[in-house]
Amino acid sequence: MIGAPLDSLIVRRTGSLLVPLVQIFALYVLFFGQYGPGGGFVAGVMISASLILGLLVFGGNGLSAKRAKSLLLGDGVGLLLFVAVGGLCLIGGGQFLNYSEAPIPGLQDASRRYAGILLTQIGVALDVAVAAVSIVFSLSRSTEGGTSDA
Amino acid sequence: MTEHLPALVFLVPLATAICMPVAGHGRKSICKPLALLAVAAMTVLSVASLWAIVSHGEVRYSFSGWEPPIGIEWLADPLAAIMLVGVSALGVLCLLYGAAIDDRTHDKHPIPYYTIVLLLIAGLTGAVYAGDLFNIFVFLEVVSLSAYALVAVPGGRALVSAFRYLLMGTLGTAFYLLGVGYFYAATGALNIADLAQQVPALLGSKAVMGGLIFMFIGLAIKMALMPLHGWLPDAYSDGPAAAVPLLAGLVTKVALLLWVRILFWVIGAGEAQQASGIFTLVSSLGILASVGAACIALRQQDLKRMFAYGGISHVGLVLIGLGQANQTGLTGAVYYLLNDAVMQCALFMLAGFIAQRYGVRSLDDAGRASIRNPLVIGTFVVVALGMVGLPPTGGFFGKLRILLGTIEAGNYLAAGAVVVTTLVTLGYFAQVLERLVRREGDAVPEPDSGHTPWALHASMVALAAAMLGLGIWNDPIVKALIDATGGLAI
Repeated sequence: MIGAPLDSLIVRRTGSLLVPLVQIFALYVLFFGQYGPGGGFVAGVMISASLILGLLVFGGNGLSAKRAKSLLLGDGVGLLLFVAVGGLCLIGGGQFLNYSEAPIPGLQDASRRYAGILLTQIGVALDVAVAAVSIVFSLSRSTEGGTSDA
Repeated sequence: MTEHLPALVFLVPLATAICMPVAGHGRKSICKPLALLAVAAMTVLSVASLWAIVSHGEVRYSFSGWEPPIGIEWLADPLAAIMLVGVSALGVLCLLYGAAIDDRTHDKHPIPYYTIVLLLIAGLTGAVYAGDLFNIFVFLEVVSLSAYALVAVPGGRALVSAFRYLLMGTLGTAFYLLGVGYFYAATGALNIADLAQQVPALLGSKAVMGGLIFMFIGLAIKMALMPLHGWLPDAYSDGPAAAVPLLAGLVTKVALLLWVRILFWVIGAGEAQQASGIFTLVSSLGILASVGAACIALRQQDLKRMFAYGGISHVGLVLIGLGQANQTGLTGAVYYLLNDAVMQCALFMLAGFIAQRYGVRSLDDAGRASIRNPLVIGTFVVVALGMVGLPPTGGFFGKLRILLGTIEAGNYLAAGAVVVTTLVTLGYFAQVLERLVRREGDAVPEPDSGHTPWALHASMVALAAAMLGLGIWNDPIVKALIDATGGLAI
């Protein structure tokens, strides 16, 4: 599935335009998620969509492919971020993921919740993106065994 | 600090599972000790949690600080705490055994293997602690998905068994979820404490009864109740020797514990509940499963399959205890469930070990081979005593209480089934023992020359000691269980 780069100029130009655009929009969705529709899951799906698009258009050796593979090394980092925020709340004396108890100095209660939710959402986004990209890699394992152990 | 212990018990294996790919990326050899360390830490925490709960009363832990109807709640009562000490301690022993047994299948890919094992243990913890029906479903799925993957580890035939397990298991969780949906439609609640207030008045409703039956079918597939047990013997006999003790000891037992939770904590066991017939159904299916599966076990040639059917028959015994709807039967059933987890674990460890070391897979192999390992034979004798139900093992006291419960309820058919199951169990264990001990002809067997890692011996001896210990100290354990179930209207 992930083969050589596509020959068509139109596809490559459109791809190089779309990939960064989708990624920027994904970041917007991620940060906007607290006030409206969006959030970590959607943002993660969009990031992975942009990476997969890059893989399909520019092939397995393009810049996007390298980025996607480096993303795979961080498998679980997203969930780790989630657990770390939760653990921080535990250390602060609250329940797991009770953001208002997180011991972040110099922040009001509301800002603590804001920071806590944002960090966990970033974790969710990372994890969803990693999962989607790793599915693509394992489906195309016949071309290259990129993820033999992850 | 003690009020956070239930969350920590769950988070330790989960966080370690998440860290595993990152930590093991550079050095794969770190996976084994890391997993062992995590489960050992979890054991310490769960013992501390049991102590805290017994001395300070049950803990209801609301994640994120949101109170139950909105948030996610952990229901850490003595029942959950006792079960979790069992889960984590068996987890340590199974990991020790799995790390020591010469089973090359999982050594090639330690990162995914240990990640899945830890996820399985975290899922079991979550399922035991979960305070609402939907989260029970979520953790049941975590457990099941990990279990399917673990069964498939050796490849070959195991893939077919794992696929069959996956199909049956998915049906099971789907049925369970459907039942939860019915309950939610009828009551608008998912929390166990909320449901316990509403459901008893609604027992005449078809939605509630239908939901209850769906949940029972779903969990019956998970616990391998007799007519729905098809996936279990194949999955356990083809699965990897290193992981099967963990699956056999814990996965079906936790499904059984969840059914205890729903039957007694949500539905309750008052007059109206007994009139609805659900307890008669549970007891009848228990009778069928215990006698039927024991008879099938008697006919098995393959040792692992025989032990698997033995486990299925014991699920029936536990259900007989539950179905009597009295305190004696309930505590006997839960106590027997704990014992059965230890016994199943020990049986599959022994089966895996003698298959790998002596090539003994069937009864005939057992007759031909000469196993001169006193610890192995000794452990086997203790497990056999426990499975048959002879003192001083815990199996005796559990079975005795189940029997007393059936007599208390005046259900002599069930009492007969317990006795018949005991006799048939004695039958198939006598077959195995006779073949293990008998010497064919005059040939003097060669002494056991192979080196056995200490961890194998240690895990087996620890399990044998646990079986005896559960029996010798059955009194305080049963008292704790009576306290745990004291608040229920029985």
